[in-house]
Amino acid sequence: MTSRLEVSLRKSLPGFTLDVEWSAGDGVAALFGPSGAGKTLTLQCLAGLVRPDAGRIVVGAQVLFDAAAGIDVPPQQRRVGYVFQGYALFPHLTVRDNVGFGLRGRRRADRTRRVEEVLGRLGLEALAERHPRELSGGQRQRVALGRALATDPALLLLDEPLSALDLPLRQALRDELRAVLTDWGIAAVLVTHDLGEAYRLGDRIVVYEEGRVIQAAPRAELLWQPSSRSVARIMGIRNLLQGVTLKATADRIQLRWRGQVLEAVNSPTRSYLPTPDSPIAFYIRPEYVRLIRKDRGAVDFAHHMNLMSGTVVREVDQGTSWTLCLRLDEPGEPAQGDYDLELEVPRLVYEILEIERDRHWQFSLHRGAMHVLPSA
Amino acid sequence: MSPDSISALRLSLQVAVTATAINALIGIPIAYALARRRFWGRSLVDLLVTLPLILPPTVVGYYLIVLLGRRGVLGRPLYELTGWTVAFTWYAAVIAATVMALPLLVRTVRAAIESVDRDLERAAYTLGRSEWRTALEVTLPLARNGILAGMVLAFARALGEFGATLMLAGNIPGKTTTVPLSIYTAVQTGERGEAVALVAALTALSCVVLIAANRLGARAS
Repeated sequence: MTSRLEVSLRKSLPGFTLDVEWSAGDGVAALFGPSGAGKTLTLQCLAGLVRPDAGRIVVGAQVLFDAAAGIDVPPQQRRVGYVFQGYALFPHLTVRDNVGFGLRGRRRADRTRRVEEVLGRLGLEALAERHPRELSGGQRQRVALGRALATDPALLLLDEPLSALDLPLRQALRDELRAVLTDWGIAAVLVTHDLGEAYRLGDRIVVYEEGRVIQAAPRAELLWQPSSRSVARIMGIRNLLQGVTLKATADRIQLRWRGQVLEAVNSPTRSYLPTPDSPIAFYIRPEYVRLIRKDRGAVDFAHHMNLMSGTVVREVDQGTSWTLCLRLDEPGEPAQGDYDLELEVPRLVYEILEIERDRHWQFSLHRGAMHVLPSA
Repeated sequence: MSPDSISALRLSLQVAVTATAINALIGIPIAYALARRRFWGRSLVDLLVTLPLILPPTVVGYYLIVLLGRRGVLGRPLYELTGWTVAFTWYAAVIAATVMALPLLVRTVRAAIESVDRDLERAAYTLGRSEWRTALEVTLPLARNGILAGMVLAFARALGEFGATLMLAGNIPGKTTTVPLSIYTAVQTGERGEAVALVAALTALSCVVLIAANRLGARAS
């Protein structure tokens, strides 16, 4: 992968230090992490609005910042488009003037042509004479995109572009935003604290925590192989558990947890070989826990690996599915407060199996549904 | 109304308009700097600009004499060089009114600038605007209502200025006697009719200014 964007930054503020290094290719890099992790500060450094203490920023072939070489291109000359959280449209200007704001200095005819082109491409022609306060949230997003894209930036920065919107609109606009980014084929960096957004919009996901990057990976890799327990926690992964290693080979790991011997697939890209008796972090996807039907006769042990049994202690109706909290039939403290495992069953399954009435179940885990996490 | 009262009215208007214009000219840049920039001596500027609001006007007037009087820090070299002194001229009334009105303008405009979303300015920077162009095209237009309000307050303050004006400009009929001084003189010398006429005129003028300011504000928002 040729890196379109190389970022290495250090910036100390009172009570907070940003110290990150990551790179990204063409497409969208999503900076994901909790609020206050330094994501917006990173964007501001990229745009030249905040000057880092040290580091280097390269976009394509152009060095925008290099502390060692004394290079600091001012924001006016960086050719970086910025879509601000809340959009920051100029309230005293019309849509047309907002979109044309960055084109000052071009010939009048040029400017008019470019503004018309951008308005047309984003479907804003009919709104050209309106002011931002007369627009809906979605229209504002498009104007903000248009204003940033009109100048043909080398890089587009988006700070929580969807957070100003209501939930139903948010999902529609997420797809619209994805379409615009694909259509314009522009390299972009997007900040979000919503994993779903990061996953749907980002080709590459950079996970931030407390001013540091804890993982940067293509999105599929991140979702299926978080590199550490803290990445898994930030991603809101459920059933994040800790066991003891029994045996580790390049493709399997056997571990003990709550009196059970469980078998998991080892990480296919990074074989992880913990020594026997060392602690090991792993997680189980709640939607991959398989309840065993009682009306199908004897349990086939060859088919159902990692077999366990337990009682539903709590349940939450999620609308299309039910979340069940199960406590294993094992003595000792449950792993997660008053339960051991969370699992997710589709509504139909919940009704067919009459889980509301029948609380005790056997269940199994395919080893592919268990993920071990290198380095606790 | 006597010729003296009419000349006092004319003088007051002239002083207040001039003081307001000077206030806008120097006050808006000061307000912008205080709101948006970190520079050496910032707290000192803030303090100096605010002091006239806290100090009794006569104290401010005294400082102005110390600074600009014929034997003052700046006044003496000026007098020795040109044989002219600003004290006891209508310029002195303008200076006194300007200094007394400045805190009101600076504070109001500063608050208005601070309430402008910084992301709007940042957006302008990333779209190629210098800080100067951004202030002219984004910040100040959006702070417009605050600027107008500040100018109205400054105008009203300048129109009513008494203590500092008396100290620096004196009370010379037809030359430095503004309406407030004229009212004071009229009351002192028992000319109640003149006093009432001037009080009514000043009240009416203030009302007109306020209504105009409200109209402007309503149109802007």
